[in-house]
Amino acid sequence: MTAITLTLNGDRVREEVEPRDILADLLRDRLRLTGTHLGCEHGACGACTVTLDGLPVRSCIVLAVMCDGRTVETIEGTRADATMDVIRRHFHEQHALQCGFCTPGMLIAARDIIARHTRPDEATVRRELSGQVCRCTGYMGIVAAIRAAAAELHPAPGADLRTPDLSTS
Amino acid sequence: MSADADTQGWVGVRLLRKEDRRHLLGASTFTADVRVPGLLEVAFVRSQFAHGRLGAVAKPDGARVFSAEDFPHLKPIDGGPELPSFRAAPYHAFARDKVHFVGQIVAACLAPTRAQAEDLADQVGVEVDALPAVVDTVEALAPGAAILHDGFPDNAFIHATVTEGDIAAVAAAAPVALRRTFRMNRQATVSLEGRGVLAYWDHRLDELVVTLSTQGAHVMRIGLAMALGLPEHKLHLIAPDVGGGFGGKNRLMPEEVAVCALALKTGRPVRWIEDRREHLMASVHCREHHYDITLYATREGRLLGLKGEVHIDAGAYSLWPSGPFMEASMAARNLPGPYQMQALHVETHTVATSKAPMGPYRGVARPGACFAIERAVDELAHAIGMEPAEVRRINLVGPHQMPYRTIGGMQLDSGDYPQALERVREMVDLAALRRRQQAGEDDGRRIGVGFAVYTEQSGHGAAEWTKRKSRIVPGYESATARMLPDGTLLLLVGIQNHGQGLETSLAQIAAQELSLDPHAISVRYGDTALTPFGFGTFASRSIVFSGGAVARATRALADKARRIGAHLLQADVADTRLADGAVHGPNGKVSLAEIARAANVRQEFLPAGMPPLLDETATYEPEESGGFFSYGAHAAVVAVDPETGVTTTLDYAIAEDCGTMINPMIVDGQIIGGVAQGIGTALYEEIPYDADGQPLATTFGDYMVPCAPELPALRIHHLVTPAHGTEYGVKGMGEGGAIAPPAAIANAVSDALRDFGARIWETPLTPRRVSDAVAAACGDRSEDAV
Ligand code: FES
Ligand code: FES
Repeated sequence: MTAITLTLNGDRVREEVEPRDILADLLRDRLRLTGTHLGCEHGACGACTVTLDGLPVRSCIVLAVMCDGRTVETIEGTRADATMDVIRRHFHEQHALQCGFCTPGMLIAARDIIARHTRPDEATVRRELSGQVCRCTGYMGIVAAIRAAAAELHPAPGADLRTPDLSTS
Repeated sequence: MSADADTQGWVGVRLLRKEDRRHLLGASTFTADVRVPGLLEVAFVRSQFAHGRLGAVAKPDGARVFSAEDFPHLKPIDGGPELPSFRAAPYHAFARDKVHFVGQIVAACLAPTRAQAEDLADQVGVEVDALPAVVDTVEALAPGAAILHDGFPDNAFIHATVTEGDIAAVAAAAPVALRRTFRMNRQATVSLEGRGVLAYWDHRLDELVVTLSTQGAHVMRIGLAMALGLPEHKLHLIAPDVGGGFGGKNRLMPEEVAVCALALKTGRPVRWIEDRREHLMASVHCREHHYDITLYATREGRLLGLKGEVHIDAGAYSLWPSGPFMEASMAARNLPGPYQMQALHVETHTVATSKAPMGPYRGVARPGACFAIERAVDELAHAIGMEPAEVRRINLVGPHQMPYRTIGGMQLDSGDYPQALERVREMVDLAALRRRQQAGEDDGRRIGVGFAVYTEQSGHGAAEWTKRKSRIVPGYESATARMLPDGTLLLLVGIQNHGQGLETSLAQIAAQELSLDPHAISVRYGDTALTPFGFGTFASRSIVFSGGAVARATRALADKARRIGAHLLQADVADTRLADGAVHGPNGKVSLAEIARAANVRQEFLPAGMPPLLDETATYEPEESGGFFSYGAHAAVVAVDPETGVTTTLDYAIAEDCGTMINPMIVDGQIIGGVAQGIGTALYEEIPYDADGQPLATTFGDYMVPCAPELPALRIHHLVTPAHGTEYGVKGMGEGGAIAPPAAIANAVSDALRDFGARIWETPLTPRRVSDAVAAACGDRSEDAV
């Protein structure tokens, strides 16, 4: 067992972990932060996405010991984040979730995409989402929600703040 | 619709979903999120052989490792139709005597963490005397193939023939006979949340509490009770948030039985959470159809009949309750599609192989049937020099022919199929695409366009399921509407929302009937101790059946509320109406809250002799239980690189009709999600097996699901023909999106490569398959030239 200390959702946390323990299991099983979901446990679906020192990582392939002295934020830590509230609202309005299993990872990825691209076009959002699997929605609502949230968070001078038109015919 | 319901209403509104909030906060509860003290985790030891005699299981720790010998009283869990011609092979939760696929459970190891349980599993020794695997669906029936199950004369669970009309006469007279083979390969259902089950004995309630990720807790209770030998009142099943199912969580699986048996045996809470490798290897598999069909037609493109043979690869066992049989009969009966023809003759074979057992997956059988007929129609069009869309147009059942019984025996109830085709033809601008093809692309890619028309039987009840000889007949749904003393409403339903937005749609129906705000309504499901019996969510049935039951229960409740309201207003019931959450009479109104208070806690305000409470339970089945058919046309535009075989979907148009839409936003979501999965079937998803029966796609590194960059933005047009005979005119539509894409995309790829003459006959159309098809066609041509 190895003792680690990390800042988790703003709190200092001290835990004893085995060298082989992954961050996701520490979060979910030990610390009961079950908003981080596991869809593959081999780094391919993005359901387990959290941030480590502000950057998105897949918590299923990050070892808990690697987080010693670092800062981790999970979906539970974003409940008071005004930016995330905007993204959440657009996910809701654009029907960007069905079963909801991919949603926490999608939100963390979405916030990062918007932070890096400001007002991404559709192709950029789709490319940036390539590591996030959603099995239910076909991604259209997710892409629309991210673009709409980006437009609200980073309005272009004189921009039209209406959400992109999703109507189909 | 109730005559009294306020016509402004909630039905048809794009209401944002009630279920979103918990998911957006990361506060939902999936099975793996449930914890009880003292929990032990299971790691299963699974067969590494596809076929073999099982010898000794060497256990490093007898107290923590369990196998078949520890559970002599567990009953097998195989299912299938109640037909004497259906052969059953016993399926035990823990393998006994033989193993029949890679991934079959041999033993279970228990430890406080999954990692420790897996450490233990690594030390378990399993002796297997390997036998030859049976891998190819068609060759499995060839003379000399190893027989998998003792007592089977050949490797078929069942052979059956679907026949109607005089196929011999049609064949003798038809000017054109076109024979083709098609294959849709095996895949997994791949809900993002895998399966999972947690079980413990609750001493206070004196029952086994089972939390599991399922599409239908009530039906699973029947199966678990049977397997465990427990009476049903000692089993309490809870399905919390379920992270997708798509059919894959609608069969009784050995892991579920094993976990319950382990909890009973050890007296400890026990859980198993499926990992992705287990999911791809040992959850229900699906598709894997092989078609050899001959289409008979005139030179002008009129279809006359279809003859063929269908092989369905059912894998090693037949899952409870209904087994794989429906797959074959549905494939055969759907082969004529929505086209008029005079004769159909299809031999079907449901084949046992050394692979994971087959289960349902969104669209069940119809993606394969649609792929076969629609590919064949395109081949016919090319053979006689007609535009494929035109061949479709002249053969589709017309709106004036409705209701129309197809030669496959499907009673198409309503709609305008040719118009759906016309719409997608316009949406992709077929004429412009043909011009673009003539001009060619600068980058060497080839553009192709493909069409497919599908039907989606939904809301089928007793008549259809008894015809299929199903041992569970999901012919109705039930709902309890319970108004609480403050006038808010609980809806208790037997279906299982797992992404379909049913907490919202069902609340909209109740809101419509009661003129209540949906925010005043809670929808509860997924708990056998809480809700009336129901069959769960599958087969595009929930909005028809559960929606109907909710409509009836809330309507009965509204009637009683009006009688109480009339009494309080001292008016005649006939002079009252329900609107804006109140009963209105000639001289005033009284709110539902006041009425609910009277009904629940102030009985002195009730009419004399009226029993208290506003609590109504209703069941619903449509009078006509053969089903209501949603339908639609899809058009796909692709670009194919003939060198690399890479296919890119450029445009995708859908014109569909699912009758009245309760919530058009949710309908669109279901269509888009279904089409995405259909594109997965068309281009990406496959679990190949090698000659020894080893599965070759067991991670997301080898099993490709469509991600955002691969998928186009879909365009949807709705036709709305309300169904006759369902509440509000709804039809089910959860599966339709997944049915047509393999056909539409394959037709588009074939169209793109028409100059090469590449033979496109098999899904998924991976780059290798496509470039091989181009290479083979070029090879053929150069041989011809010699
Ligand atoms: S669970 Fe971590 S990427 Fe899939
Ligand atoms: S909403 Fe179900 S996986 Fe995305």
